[in-house]
Amino acid sequence: MGENTIIELKGLTKRYGYGDTESFALKDFDLTIKRGEFIMIMGPSGCGKTTLLNIVGLLDRATKGEYILNGENVASISARRQAKLRAKKIGFIFQNFNLIEDLPILENVALPLVYTGYSKTARLKNASNALKRFHLQEREYYFPYQLSGGQQQRVAIARAIVSDPEIILADEPTGNLDSRASHIVMEELKAIHEEGNTIIMVTHNPALTVYATRVINMLDGHIDTDVKTVADANLPQPISVKIKKRKKPEIEIETPKSEERKKTKKRKKSRRKK
Amino acid sequence: MALLLKTHFKLAKTAIKENRTRSFLTCLGIAIGVASIILILSLMGSISNLVKNEISEIGSDLIVVRPSSTKDSVTSIVEELTSSNTFQKSNLSLNDVSTISKLEDVAAVAPISISVNTVDSEKNNFTSVPILGTNEDFVKIEPVAFKFGSFINKNTGEKTVVLGSTLSLALFNTINSTVGKTVTIMGEKFMIIGVLDEIDKSINFDNIDFDNALIMDIESLDKLTGSTQIQQINIKANNTDSLSKVSTEIKDALIESKHGDENFTVSYGDDITHPASSLFTVVSGMLTAVATISLVVGGIGVMNIMLVSVAERNHEIGVRKAVGASSRNILMQFLFEALILSILGGIFGLVLGYILAFLISIITPFAPHISAEIVLITLATTFCVGIIFGIYPAIKAATKNPIESLKHYR
Repeated sequence: MGENTIIELKGLTKRYGYGDTESFALKDFDLTIKRGEFIMIMGPSGCGKTTLLNIVGLLDRATKGEYILNGENVASISARRQAKLRAKKIGFIFQNFNLIEDLPILENVALPLVYTGYSKTARLKNASNALKRFHLQEREYYFPYQLSGGQQQRVAIARAIVSDPEIILADEPTGNLDSRASHIVMEELKAIHEEGNTIIMVTHNPALTVYATRVINMLDGHIDTDVKTVADANLPQPISVKIKKRKKPEIEIETPKSEERKKTKKRKKSRRKK
Repeated sequence: MALLLKTHFKLAKTAIKENRTRSFLTCLGIAIGVASIILILSLMGSISNLVKNEISEIGSDLIVVRPSSTKDSVTSIVEELTSSNTFQKSNLSLNDVSTISKLEDVAAVAPISISVNTVDSEKNNFTSVPILGTNEDFVKIEPVAFKFGSFINKNTGEKTVVLGSTLSLALFNTINSTVGKTVTIMGEKFMIIGVLDEIDKSINFDNIDFDNALIMDIESLDKLTGSTQIQQINIKANNTDSLSKVSTEIKDALIESKHGDENFTVSYGDDITHPASSLFTVVSGMLTAVATISLVVGGIGVMNIMLVSVAERNHEIGVRKAVGASSRNILMQFLFEALILSILGGIFGLVLGYILAFLISIITPFAPHISAEIVLITLATTFCVGIIFGIYPAIKAATKNPIESLKHYR
């Protein structure tokens, strides 16, 4: 396994039902994903794209086969740590946005940080910065139903990147959007990818494949075609980018947790003095 | 972890606020259960306090002999209460009184015999007046103040009685002295030689309301009614330091004179209060059972609402899990909500219970008895109710499959 491999799937099988009703969403699926890849998965309905994404996103378990995430076999990771990994390393973007209707969008974006031990101020500050990036900062206290579909999807993307994950999983993120909103969303994803994030995206729209570095066509639970448009060596790498980001204090999302905590403490102290 | 708990708390608060009416009604269910328990505990506490205070007033040298039931259990108490004879069947006799009075360390012995009869003055007549048969030692043991006259003794003769203040007023329609007047009981005339001061303690270890009672010599009472039951023998010890020794002596002497029958109990100190509140033990035990049922019903209400809440927020659970909430996080979130609901109900019930206890204290001698113990027990109980009835919906929420939950998009 190469050093740069982030996800390795070996003989992954997902079976639904038993006996006569038995059907396979994935069958002996093998896939190796390198850091910095932008993968588009295409294929007809029911070919196992969403199942694949759910398994990669640790929401589902394969019936058979190995899933190695960052050199670690997922089968040996406890459910609790899997949840932690979902919060820290994996960002989900859904077709129907899946925002919580009862929470303002700021708190929706801050949601993954709730489960990674940030204080409330730090959470909201990071979330606010993430929203700023998508030009939604002035609508922080709007509720999801008050936003358009494109805006809601941008909120969802902000939520996916707020905890600075390594892998972003997008399940037809543009499926519910018009072409203009789709374009904006894709540009955002592209920007995120260029920062060195690995993106796996499921789509039905062949026009979007221009953004990808690798296009996989699935058929009946296995890979039909697998085309790389960018050489592995040319993939954007996160490490260098991250170091650069740390030097730029204005991008708060990237600030390590400890520093962030110190900052909030200092802020609290200064308030007390006043 | 502490941060996460705070977050769960805030989430629960928001969820409860969002469904204000629903949450309030759920709390009310718990509150009613808690209020009734508080009320009962408060009443019980005030009753035993009344008796305890009286005993501490009388002094620490009091020993009481009471007939004991052969089976000292709840059923025997219930039997006693349901039998037509309101007062206990006694196996103590005047013989026992003289046996005890012969002992060295005993300063005074007074039998307490209560019967009920019609008392007639020229102006009024009252049925069901409690008549206390005792002897002159009674005032040596229990300090009773006199408004008029004095207590019965050997020299005042057989046909003399002492009235309680309320009875005196009721019989003769006057607050002035009734000493020297006569009352008729079962056709025999008795002269009043004393009227007690107002005592206003209807609950005491003698089980008699002195304000409404008539007191006469036990031998006169015996002659009058033909059969006297001694419910209790009050004993004043010479020496306060050796109450246990004296009580053992009394016990031994009684067993000897009764030829080995140990059908009585000798008690002193706080133990004296127990039989006095045996009636209340049964009544309050039953009331507590009823109150507990209402608390359980309240708990079921919490569970019901939590189940609705879990079903309503199915999608939210899915989203939370997808962005990194573990099953445990979800469990805690919903458990917290149930806990806050039931503890809120508990606090609400605590206040309600005390308001009720206070209202009752206005019309009865039961002062609301509020102790930290009761508050703690209540809060602990509601905490347990919250856990017991909140755990199932919380587990249900926690074990939801996130993929299924995400499909349930509202």
